[in-house]
Amino acid sequence: MINVSELKKEYKTGKETVPVLKGVDFSVKEGEFVCIIGPSGSGKTTLLHLLGGLDTPSSGSIQLDGTDITSKSEKMRTLIRRKDIGLIFQNYQLLPTLTIYENIVFPLHADGKKAPSGKVEELLEAVDLAGYEKRFPNELSGGQQQRVAIARALIHEPSILLADEPTGNLDRQRSSDILDLLATFHQERKQTIVMVTHDMFAAGYADRIVLFKDGVIEAEVTREDEDYAKFLSRFMA
Amino acid sequence: MSVKHSLLALLYEKSRHGYELKTGFEEMVQGMWPLNAGQVYTTLDRLERDSLVETPGHDKKDRKLYTITTAGKEELWTWLEDPVGRSLFKDEFYFKFLCANQVSYENRQSMIRNQKETMIKDVLHLTHLKKQMMGSGNETMKLLIEGALLHLEADIKWLDMIADS
Repeated sequence: MINVSELKKEYKTGKETVPVLKGVDFSVKEGEFVCIIGPSGSGKTTLLHLLGGLDTPSSGSIQLDGTDITSKSEKMRTLIRRKDIGLIFQNYQLLPTLTIYENIVFPLHADGKKAPSGKVEELLEAVDLAGYEKRFPNELSGGQQQRVAIARALIHEPSILLADEPTGNLDRQRSSDILDLLATFHQERKQTIVMVTHDMFAAGYADRIVLFKDGVIEAEVTREDEDYAKFLSRFMA
Repeated sequence: MSVKHSLLALLYEKSRHGYELKTGFEEMVQGMWPLNAGQVYTTLDRLERDSLVETPGHDKKDRKLYTITTAGKEELWTWLEDPVGRSLFKDEFYFKFLCANQVSYENRQSMIRNQKETMIKDVLHLTHLKKQMMGSGNETMKLLIEGALLHLEADIKWLDMIADS
């Protein structure tokens, strides 16, 4: 589904070149729930942005279902993102002047499409916000806004859901609700999920954990590995 | 933990025979606490002796049936209403930590590390169990798991605190 090869990303600050990703090889299978963990500045969010086609790498390739998105124009990457990728951010990124309904269908409108009849209602029901169509984001709690963001990310039935610290702004109970929701979509709809997180409790939901450090993958562990807990205890507070 | 009161709770709605009580108990705790048959029958004997259950007869397969009495219901309600205090030293690791400091134990950091690892295993196990139970409709068990995860979160924070102290 996702195949990343020799991925590098550098940023230029004045005369200095700062390498953020230093050659990453990484893959995600269809239906997998992968967590990316690592200290701040280790490159995990950069990788997520590159996977989502929000940025381009300095070198290397990213294949989504066999298509190398790094060789595509920005317009093409946007089209691929709107078709295949759902994005969830830590700060929800809902548009404050639009209703919940309008926020959810916004990615479709950008493509000149309409939501299939009943689709928004079905998603709102799935995220436990049935009847909230006409409300505005500021009328909702942080946890509820993140649930709207999940519905928005899924409106076009993407093959991959990319989540960047989706519980970073939420307390334990709200975090748990959001993670349960993602786990439900993963289990019931076989949704492929790649999630960046600092939270050990969030990482516990994943099939596989990938540790980033200084721009490279330092270690990987799957749920079946006996060292899963030892791995988490070493790297997460 | 009170096996006695859980048996009274299982008998609250209907009469059951001993084996049914054993399986009912194990179902209630999602198989995480196996109960041996001997313990069930010993507890039932005591409950009968104390007039908290009675044995009105046998089922079609000639298995002895147990029924809760009015005194049994009152005992159950009293137990449910009785608040549960928290003793500082009931947590075995707290006590181990106390003793380790008493003897200036050199490997205190490894003790803390091992304890944290065990707790993370518990977190992973409970998270996995919670994922498995999604859609099962067993809201009570899900709430218990949430409670246990909140306790584990606090305990892990405390371990990080004492590791740095």
